[in-house]
Amino acid sequence: MFDFDATLPLMAVQFILLVVILNAIFFKPLTAVIEDRANLIRSSQTGAKEGLEQINAITQQYEKELAESRRQYQSVIAKAQADAQKLASDQVAAAQAEAVAQREQATQELSAQKVSAMAELEKQVDGLSQEILNKLLVGV
Amino acid sequence: MDVSSASVIAAALAIGLASLGPGIGQGNASASAVEGIARQPEAEGKIRGTLLLTLAFMESLTIYGLVIALVLLFANPFVK
Amino acid sequence: MLNFLDSPNFVSLAALEVGQHFYWHIGSLKVHGQVFLATWFVMAVLIIVSLLATRNIQRIPTGMQNLMEYALDFVRELTRNQIGEKEYRPWVPFIGTLFLFIFVCNWSGALIPWKLIHLPEGELAAPTNDINTTVALSLLVSIAYFYAGFKKKGLGYFAKYVQPTPVLLPIAVLEDFTKPLSLSFRLFGNILADELVVGVLVLLVPLFVPLPVMLLGLFTSAIQALVFATLAGAYIHEALEGHGDEHDEEHA
Repeated sequence: MFDFDATLPLMAVQFILLVVILNAIFFKPLTAVIEDRANLIRSSQTGAKEGLEQINAITQQYEKELAESRRQYQSVIAKAQADAQKLASDQVAAAQAEAVAQREQATQELSAQKVSAMAELEKQVDGLSQEILNKLLVGV
Repeated sequence: MDVSSASVIAAALAIGLASLGPGIGQGNASASAVEGIARQPEAEGKIRGTLLLTLAFMESLTIYGLVIALVLLFANPFVK
Repeated sequence: MLNFLDSPNFVSLAALEVGQHFYWHIGSLKVHGQVFLATWFVMAVLIIVSLLATRNIQRIPTGMQNLMEYALDFVRELTRNQIGEKEYRPWVPFIGTLFLFIFVCNWSGALIPWKLIHLPEGELAAPTNDINTTVALSLLVSIAYFYAGFKKKGLGYFAKYVQPTPVLLPIAVLEDFTKPLSLSFRLFGNILADELVVGVLVLLVPLFVPLPVMLLGLFTSAIQALVFATLAGAYIHEALEGHGDEHDEEHA
């Protein structure tokens, strides 16, 4: 049972040979594959994380732009409304002024006609009263 | 008593005595391991692995006794 | 030799042959032929399985590649746990091969009906139940950890013998001898004991009763392969770290 002989060194040599062979055909290729896969997973994980961060940044930017443009169009609307309001009130004011002017003119014309008519009437009254006087005096 | 019968008795004593200490030790180790698992059930896997390894170490003490017994039985240097 | 177990009464049922070898003579040297036959078988199995696994390497593993990647992951994890994250890589092939070789050897002894093949003398069995194999492996482990220590620290490696106190020098030197001794005897004794226990049980009750013991034998064989590889890793780690800088081991 305890008979040591040439089996021992030959076995050691054989085993070292096996280590070398398995290192070449088993450990090296499979370790490379496993580490490749680990690297791939790690890199795609970081890639995905970066993509997510990018997406988040883009979303934030969009939201900011959206808020900005909302503010902008609101201000545009407000300005347009103000403009329209101003235009309308201007026109209303102009129309009112014109109407007032026209009325005034009409009133003036009317009063002028009235004056002239009164003057005519007075003249006629004078003439008539003269005639009446003359007639009356003839009779006497 | 000739060498052959003495060898047989010695082999029996070797394996018998060699199993005493490791038996006690394995009992202690297993008891502690069970206690540890009861206290911390989430560490069961780790405790079991360590326990198996330590049991194998203690077992090897008995195996040394067994090797001596085998030498006495099958490769006795005192018997031609 | 006391050969009472294969006395004529039992020899028809089962014979236990311990210490009988199928000798080959190479020049003036004698070698155990049955050990070499079994070893070549184991090596062929390992090499063929590796070739099958790496023949068509894919990113998403299937079949044999999956199995062998699991095995590789297992031994890498084992080596990393023992030697530490920094230095474990170059030792994976050695410790991995130790584990795989011993594992396949042990299981081949338990699972393959070697007894059906008759040799002129001796019988085929697990290669690890021959003391030459286990001593060869454990001496290789010794050489490996000396190599690791010398490569890392040069002659400063010897400082670890007198590091805590020179009083322990004899024990430190003795340790270098007991390490391979205990490694080889543990493996040898366990495997041989398994086969003997199964043999004795088969001799007493030939059918069914030995099955649970055979299963226990399979379990023990696997654990012994694990223990051998773990201890090899632990010894190499010890040689790499030394006694002087134990604070390094905290985060290793």
